[in-house]
Amino acid sequence: MNAFVVKGLAFAAVLIISTIVVVQQMHIDLSDPINWITILGALAIATLAFGVSAKYMGQMKTDTASGDLAEENWDGIGEYKNELPAGWAYSFLGVMIWGLWYFFLGYPLNAFSQIGQYNEEVQSYNKKFEAVHKNADAATLKDMGESIFLVQCAPCHGETGDGLSGKAEDFTKGRTKATVLNIIKNGQNALAAFPGGMPPGMASGAAAEKAAEYVASGCKGKAPAEFGVCAGCHGATGAGTPGVAPSLKGYDVKTALAKGKTGAIGMMPSFANRFTPVQEKALDSYVNSLKQ
Amino acid sequence: MFHWLEKNPFFFAVGVFLTIAFAGAVTILPNFSKSAQPIKGLKPYTVLQLAGRGVYIKDNCLSCHSQMIRPFKAETDRYGQYSLSGEYAYDRPFLWGSRRIGPDLHRVGNYRTPDWHANHMWNPKSVVPGSIMPAYKHQFTNIADTETAYAEAVTVKRAFGVPYGDDIQPGKAAYEKELKAKVLPDALKIATQMKNKDLIAKVKAGKIPEVVALVAYLERLK
Amino acid sequence: MQSNAAMEYDYSIVKLYMWTTVIFGIVGMLIGVIIASQLAWPQLNYMMGEYGTFSRLRPIHTNVVVYGFMISGIFVGFYYSAQRVLKVSMGESKFLMTLGYLQFFLYLIAASGMVISEAMGITTSKEYAQMEWPLDILIVVIWVIWGVIMFGLIGMRREKALYISMWYYVATFLGVAMLYLFNNMEVPTQLLSGGLGAWYHSVSMYAGTNDAMVQWWWGHNAVAFVFTVPIIALIYYFLPKESGQAVYSYKLSLLSFWGLMFIYLWAGGHHLLWSTVPDWVQTMASVFSVILILPSWGSAINMLLTMKGEWNQLTENPLIKFMVLASTFYMLSTLEGPIQAVKSVNAIAHFTDWIPGHVHDGTLGWVSFMVFATLMHSAPRVFKREIYSKSLLEAQFWIQTVGVVLYFTSMWIAGITQGMMWRAVDEYGNLMYSFIDTVNALHPYWAIRAVGGTLYFIGLLMFAYNFFMTATAGRKLETEPQFRSPMA
Ligand code: HEC
Ligand code: HEC
Ligand code: HEC
Ligand code: HEM
Ligand code: HEM
Ligand SMILES: [Ca+2]
Ligand SMILES: [Ca+2]
Ligand SMILES: [Cu+2]
Repeated sequence: MNAFVVKGLAFAAVLIISTIVVVQQMHIDLSDPINWITILGALAIATLAFGVSAKYMGQMKTDTASGDLAEENWDGIGEYKNELPAGWAYSFLGVMIWGLWYFFLGYPLNAFSQIGQYNEEVQSYNKKFEAVHKNADAATLKDMGESIFLVQCAPCHGETGDGLSGKAEDFTKGRTKATVLNIIKNGQNALAAFPGGMPPGMASGAAAEKAAEYVASGCKGKAPAEFGVCAGCHGATGAGTPGVAPSLKGYDVKTALAKGKTGAIGMMPSFANRFTPVQEKALDSYVNSLKQ
Repeated sequence: MFHWLEKNPFFFAVGVFLTIAFAGAVTILPNFSKSAQPIKGLKPYTVLQLAGRGVYIKDNCLSCHSQMIRPFKAETDRYGQYSLSGEYAYDRPFLWGSRRIGPDLHRVGNYRTPDWHANHMWNPKSVVPGSIMPAYKHQFTNIADTETAYAEAVTVKRAFGVPYGDDIQPGKAAYEKELKAKVLPDALKIATQMKNKDLIAKVKAGKIPEVVALVAYLERLK
Repeated sequence: MQSNAAMEYDYSIVKLYMWTTVIFGIVGMLIGVIIASQLAWPQLNYMMGEYGTFSRLRPIHTNVVVYGFMISGIFVGFYYSAQRVLKVSMGESKFLMTLGYLQFFLYLIAASGMVISEAMGITTSKEYAQMEWPLDILIVVIWVIWGVIMFGLIGMRREKALYISMWYYVATFLGVAMLYLFNNMEVPTQLLSGGLGAWYHSVSMYAGTNDAMVQWWWGHNAVAFVFTVPIIALIYYFLPKESGQAVYSYKLSLLSFWGLMFIYLWAGGHHLLWSTVPDWVQTMASVFSVILILPSWGSAINMLLTMKGEWNQLTENPLIKFMVLASTFYMLSTLEGPIQAVKSVNAIAHFTDWIPGHVHDGTLGWVSFMVFATLMHSAPRVFKREIYSKSLLEAQFWIQTVGVVLYFTSMWIAGITQGMMWRAVDEYGNLMYSFIDTVNALHPYWAIRAVGGTLYFIGLLMFAYNFFMTATAGRKLETEPQFRSPMA
């Protein structure tokens, strides 16, 4: 090997190693086939391109031009009648044979379906994470909820769940007394899951204050008598009545996800069919843990 | 034989031409009519949405955004159902893009809302800290070209049989009628959801800001 | 062997295109530096109102460098070298001369129309085919004129057999003509709507997946027939001519040419892998892309072997340096492209920075280096003056080489990283990164790219100065140099 090839390969090595180092910093699983094939491809590009071109650079230093000249000459440019470089010629022949094999025998017309492959990918994914999901304990759920939240919800609710200065619900504050009083006064018809909505003026004065306090506390402890009106729809403990009214114990994440919400602050889109039941549970547990 | 060709430029050129023309025909023609089929229930873009598509093209959003969800689990988790050929049957031109500096937008209508877009197009950093997307404030003052969008609807209806209703007809009068009957009311709905008084006032005055049309288009991407 | 000293060639058209090459090069690459910086430092989007955003500028960058800088450079190379290898002067035919001037004049109109309309946001949005129909028509006219001139010169030629460069010029002409026509089939919207709306607006004849297929049949082959085929024409003339070496092997030239013609056109589907085009089209495109390595490398190897034993020329002559490095960058991009066309690799590479990385290996390392060499080799013959400064040329070479290396290594790492981050899942199987995480991870690499681009641009300014001084103030030459270009 001449000095050029050594330098070329050294450059290739530096490039590949830096790539792998940077990728590793991002906690990438390199055993995923797509990932290692890519790294292999990158390796092939770097070593072949720099190695082979360095070989020819070397020849400029060591070799000499020779051969029979063709009789033609264009503007002083001549042409040798040299044979094809053997490595090139055999490689060309080789890839052509490989191409024919690939296209007609290996993976003949219509033998591959990318959608079929997708279905397999989903299946093997489900198999891989089935156990994790089935036996998820509370801590796992919350953790899992956080990672989904950061990817799917943070653009509106913010990375800390603070709702980006009023652009979406602030989960760190939770449902405040003032909000509840407002809803009691004006009613609400924002959760698409309940077409009838809640009528305005369900309570007033001190009764409304008491009920609101209870709801703002997340319906903890024994319900005060003033909550009686509310219980008619929201259930005796505020746990909600399916199809009638939502739960008031914290956020009813499942309902919000199913149909979205058009509220006083803004609109939330529906996330129907985007999550598995476990993921919904995880989001619920994370969102309701944010209140400080 | 080749040396002979090199001395006979005419045949040389014919040889080159046939070699290259052949490949295109074999690649494109076999699936041409199948690829032109819309999926069931696909509706053509409304005039307002077409105008918004025009804004998307004018500001060249596709230099950063793709509209092609590839069939990988990681992509369907992030963006939703992988894209189907028939969904694009009314896309002239196609806007798949070749670069994803920002996220894919093929189904962005599913998980973002007009008021969110209103914040985002005005100042992306206000909703996505660290965003590098430019703010498109000029879209809040520039007025969308709904007449050209209407002309486009008429053209694709007449030239390519895109199934628009009878109200899409050539001529200024038909355009004005459609504007009053559909385009402005549609725009008002979007502007109201965007919760921007200024935009609402403009639409009420009969002028549709570019961003309203654009959001109508983004909302349609589902 | 015939001597070429007796012939006088007419370089008036060459000179005109030389100036547009330099000017469009500066404009286009300045915009390149700006958009590269905008990704690293987004505040830079707000310098010129709506006209200064990344998204408006990006297509102006691509169009000005491709249709301004590169096409001008190719026309310089053509009008200079075609006369010489055919042994016929443009000046021998008044008709061809008139056409030449007309072509340049129309080209100026089209190029400025292109920049203005894209700044205004008038675009069909198809990459490398953004121009609306009025400009399309103008371009077809320009191209037809070029064809008439090319075949006119061929008809008048004194060299019976066509030199290799001519094969590639002919292929460029035919390939672009055919592809451009098909991809730009569009219906002006005023035509059928009773005169409504903007007069320049049109809709594509094809929709959705078909539109994509036609577009990338063009897009890929624009790469083939604008970034590759005519540039090979340049290197086959300018490297042997500058070095005085005979081309290494006729057989290799021949097989590379016909191999490229046969294989290139089948590979366009590699821009649409994993999309909604039929699976068999994708498989075919992948396979042909891999085969394509060899006819591509054939030309590069032929050029490198032409220089074998000529180490001293490489160390002493900066023009030879440009051309030898161009060949190696050509090898790099024609290996990188095919590997990116492997479906598993494309699943990562597509949509990421690795693609612009690949693009600029080719355009900065291969195309632009060849264009610089073309202009500088021709300048002493055209202006009858020595090249103004050798050391400036030498410095340009090294600065730009560092620039390209920074560009492609940073984009390589950024692209692979982002592609893998998009796919990454945590221990629960949920996506590990939000989109904005993957964007923020790229900041350092975008900054490095911007630095690399700036270095390249500085080199370009040195070139422009050197070229201007050569044309106006270089030491006068009595006789035309046979091979090596004289430089001070
Ligand atoms: C007639 C049935 C009914 C009664 C009585 C009722 N609610 Fe509601 N409540 C609803 C419905 C339905 C909703 C969901 C409204 C929607 O779609 O946004 C709701 C929503 C709410 C919400 C908002 C929950 C959310 O997720 O946005 C609060 C807080 C609330 N009720 C508190 C009360 C209190 C306190 C009382 C008693 C003073 C009360 N409700 C009485 C039917 C009722
Ligand atoms: C496009 C913006 C957006 C996204 C994305 C979003 N939300 Fe929301 N969300 C909102 C807005 C706006 C509100 C406040 C609606 C109102 O009450 O005015 C809200 C309210 C909520 C509420 C309160 C509902 C109630 O009962 O009052 C919950 C719970 C919630 N979001 C959960 C989530 C979760 C979990 C995700 C992610 C999977 C998510 N959101 C994604 C915009 C969004
Ligand atoms: C310089 C690149 C760039 C340009 C140009 C750009 N965007 Fe973006 N876009 C981004 C980035 C980065 C994000 C992700 C961060 C964010 O949400 O702001 C994004 C996000 C978005 C989103 C949110 C998608 C989601 O899933 O959260 C929408 C919608 C959007 N852009 C629309 C547009 C439109 C419409 C245009 C053109 C008028 C445009 N963008 C131009 C870079 C860009
Ligand atoms: C100073 C030199 C240059 C710089 C700094 C530069 C920078 C850039 C940047 C930042 C982009 C956008 C990439 C992205 O999407 O992330 C780009 C795209 C592009 N540039 Fe350049 N560029 C330069 C020179 C050139 C030249 C000389 C050419 C051609 C001859 C060229 C051709 C292209 C093409 C074709 C694209 C589009 C790539 C794609 O869509 O994938 N560039 N350039
Ligand atoms: C053997 C030859 C080559 C093959 C097989 C090849 C393959 C590819 C592939 C697979 C892509 C990426 C498509 C995607 O995922 O988006 C691509 C993009 C590109 N390549 Fe190459 N490449 C080759 C040579 C070249 C050369 C020599 C250049 C010259 C400058 C070049 C310029 C480009 C450009 C400009 C793009 C960007 C297209 C876009 O805008 O998306 N390629 N190429
Ligand atoms: Ca592109
Ligand atoms: Ca066009
Ligand atoms: Cu290609």
